[in-house]
Amino acid sequence: MTESEPTVPSTMAAPRAEATATNLPQHWVCTPPIDIFETPEGLVLRADLPGVTAETLDLQVQDNKLTLLGRVVPQAPEGARLIHQEYHVGDYVRSFILSDDVDHDRITAKITNGVLDLLLPRTPKPEPRRIQVRAN
Amino acid sequence: MRVFRWGSAFDAFRDLEREMDRLLHNVHMTHEGLRIGRPFPAVNIYELQDEFLLTAELPGTRVEDLDLSVSNGLLTIRGSRTTTAEVGDHEFRRSERPQGRWERSFQLPERVHDTAMFAELQNGVLLLHLPKAPSALARQIPVSDGSEALIEANVTPVPE
Repeated sequence: MTESEPTVPSTMAAPRAEATATNLPQHWVCTPPIDIFETPEGLVLRADLPGVTAETLDLQVQDNKLTLLGRVVPQAPEGARLIHQEYHVGDYVRSFILSDDVDHDRITAKITNGVLDLLLPRTPKPEPRRIQVRAN
Repeated sequence: MRVFRWGSAFDAFRDLEREMDRLLHNVHMTHEGLRIGRPFPAVNIYELQDEFLLTAELPGTRVEDLDLSVSNGLLTIRGSRTTTAEVGDHEFRRSERPQGRWERSFQLPERVHDTAMFAELQNGVLLLHLPKAPSALARQIPVSDGSEALIEANVTPVPE
C-alpha cells in the first residue's frame, strides 16, 4: 500500500479555499498521522482522528484508492475566544493506493476513542490445482 | 524550550505564565513533515465568559490512562498511549503516531476556581473546564441615591 497523490498540501493543515470565499468561518483540513503494520491476516492501518466518530467518518474505496474523510465539530462553544493555540480543529483527509493483494470486499473498520482501525485482509491465495496429464 | 504561553492579551497573565512542558524521552514524535516539533499533546485554550476551556487532542487515550492533578496552582496532565505495543518493530510499514508516556504542566492563573474544575474525554478530545473564580467575574455594584442617604444621616439622633 502506498500513499496516493496528496489531496491536500503536505503541510499539516491548509485553509480550504472555497470556505473562505463564501465567508464561512475558516475551515482546516489536516493530514492525520497513521501507522501501518502487518498481521498474519493482512494489513492494519491505524489513524489518529481525535473528535471523529463512526457517524462523521467517511471511508471510500474506488478502484484502488482508499480515501478517509473525518469531519469534526468545533470543540469550543460559539463565542469562545481563542487565547492560546497549538493545533487547528479541522477535518481529516488522507488517501492511499491499495495493492492488489488486499481483498477490497472484506475491509472492515472501527473507531474507538478517536483512533481508526482499518483491517485490510489479504486476498486468499487460490488452491494449487493439479493438471492431469494424459498420455496419448 | 518555551512551548506554552497562557495567552498574551493580559498583563496579569504574563506574570503567571510559566512553561514546564516536558516531553519524556520515550515519546516518539511523528515524522514525515506531519507535525514536527509540536508538543504532545497539542493544547488549545479558549476564554469564555465564566470559564477557561483547555482542549487537547488525545486520540486512543482512555480515561484510566489519563491523570490530571492540581497542586499549588500547577496543573499537570499526564498520560500514556501504548496501543501498538503488541506489534513487533519489523512488522511496521509506517509509524507516524506518537506513543509512550507524556506529561505537561501549566501554571494556572489565580483567577481560576481550582476546586470546581472538571474534565471530559470524548472521542479522543479532552475538554478541561477551568471555571473563573467568583472574584474574577464582573460584579454589579449597587448605587443608592446619595442625597437621601445624606438626609437620613442628618436626622439620625446622636446618642448622648
